Amino acid sequence: MITIENLTKYYGNNKAVNNISFTINDNEILGFLGPNGAGKSTTMNMIAGYLPMTSGKVTIFGSDISKDPIKAKKNIGYLPEIPPVYPDMKVTEYLSFCAGIKQVPLSKRKDEIKRVLALLKIEDVKGKLIRNLSKGYKQRVGFAQALLGDPKFIILDEPTVGLDPNQVIEVRKLIKELKKDHIVIFSSHILSEVSEVCDRVVIINKGDIRAIDTIENLESTFSSSLSLHIKVKGSKSKAASIIEMTDGVKELLSIDNEGNDIYAFTVQLEGDAEEIQDKLMADLLQNQIRIVEVYTDKPNLENVFIDLINRPVQKESLADLLDEIVPETTDTDETDTKEED
Amino acid sequence: MFSIFKKELQSFFYTPFAYALASLFMLLFTYMFATSIAKLETSNRLMFSFTEIFYDLLFFFIFLIPIITMRSFADERKLGTEVLLMSSPLSVGKIVIGKYLANITVFLFMMLGSVFFPIVTEMNGKVVVSQLICAYIGFFAWGAMFIALGMLISSLTESPITAAIIGEIVMFADLFIDDFSGTAFISQYPKLQSGLNAFAAQPRFAYFSQGFIRLSDLVFFASAIIVFIAWTYISIEKRRWNRG
Repeated sequence: MITIENLTKYYGNNKAVNNISFTINDNEILGFLGPNGAGKSTTMNMIAGYLPMTSGKVTIFGSDISKDPIKAKKNIGYLPEIPPVYPDMKVTEYLSFCAGIKQVPLSKRKDEIKRVLALLKIEDVKGKLIRNLSKGYKQRVGFAQALLGDPKFIILDEPTVGLDPNQVIEVRKLIKELKKDHIVIFSSHILSEVSEVCDRVVIINKGDIRAIDTIENLESTFSSSLSLHIKVKGSKSKAASIIEMTDGVKELLSIDNEGNDIYAFTVQLEGDAEEIQDKLMADLLQNQIRIVEVYTDKPNLENVFIDLINRPVQKESLADLLDEIVPETTDTDETDTKEED
Repeated sequence: MFSIFKKELQSFFYTPFAYALASLFMLLFTYMFATSIAKLETSNRLMFSFTEIFYDLLFFFIFLIPIITMRSFADERKLGTEVLLMSSPLSVGKIVIGKYLANITVFLFMMLGSVFFPIVTEMNGKVVVSQLICAYIGFFAWGAMFIALGMLISSLTESPITAAIIGEIVMFADLFIDDFSGTAFISQYPKLQSGLNAFAAQPRFAYFSQGFIRLSDLVFFASAIIVFIAWTYISIEKRRWNRG
């Protein structure tokens, strides 16, 4: 079992990873999901023992990575974001070097190299210089390196980037096979990949964990609460107060100014969506507010993901939400940072 | 540690790198050797000194040593392979020492080429072997120190070229410390002068080339090597902490 407790990383004054904790159970594939710059690679580098953490603790099968790094690292196979290959080496030379630094016994090295070459299907390039390989092959050579010595904990940072669709399928199959007697954590920003391969996902954004759960649970939690998008023309404060008052509206999530006096509201509903939608529209029309567009989100992992990532910090009141609208269309990211400042 | 050593040697000897360096060194030595012999014809002395050749070669070596060491850590960082080394069950100390030993081996390989000249001379004349051995020991100690220094500089940057240029500047400065401290201006401040002299490596090499092996010189070189290696270790660890 791998435990990560209160992991925090500062780059200077910049907080890259904020107090994250989770555990990975035996025979589990954990997906690590987040947009670019969310802190995925930083976290993985810390778990692999490359970057020291500012505070927190990573325990790999009982050994603390900071206190007993040699013992902990013996159980880790790590494929970083950029495959760590030497362009001037041949594939077998490179793997033999890696087997050496991973302290694979001399007598087993040849067999080990053969095994990983076969697993990644790169036997055909074993005699080539790495500099002459395509990106997909380099990626797979990097992956092969991570499996050398059969470590029980495999960390893969975006392992399918740069592979062609065929190779992606093969690599995913391989990851699933690894599950039998390994613990795998792998990061990605491709949702279909995560939902196909992983048992559980950790969703992270701006260094914070947004959710940790199985994919089924995430989807079902969010399917019970539908999001309704409604665009109206007219007084925004009047529309906002009507929306807030309507029964079945759980929460008014955001208001965006679309220009030309048109405002887009995102509303979280509770209960029978159609009924609430009809009532809401009737109320708005009665108050001479024109409805430009109405639609509801179908819940799927993508929406769950976008919702979790983009969900603004909870607003205190309706007034706060209304204040937030700036004349031109606003970027949610920008408003987020402003608040943090 | 042996894996690192082996890999470093491969990167020197499986590429033209080490051979190009060694032939450049041979070329320089040949030039010095030939001019020394040419001088014999104009003077009425019938002897010349290999140790003098070594002494003059130090100047050229300032340019060769940073080229050996420039890639040590800067290249790993540039390629992204530093992650591989740091996440493997190898301590940073072992990585540094493995690389240091490989660089020393390349240096020895270059020195080996120069043995050719005394052998040729011995075949046609007489060589003072004891003095020559002293010069070799001194030359080795001097090179070993500058290799450690070059590695330290390589660990501070991400670009091998920058590492080489900074290395050359620093080593050049060290070569001229004793000339500088001997100037009239510095002589006015004896404390400063002796302070500067303490860092000068060249006069210490001069003792070796004259056939003296002094304990103080050996201690100087050995402690400088230890300081630079330890500093390299610290600089790598520090970079990991501050990286961002």
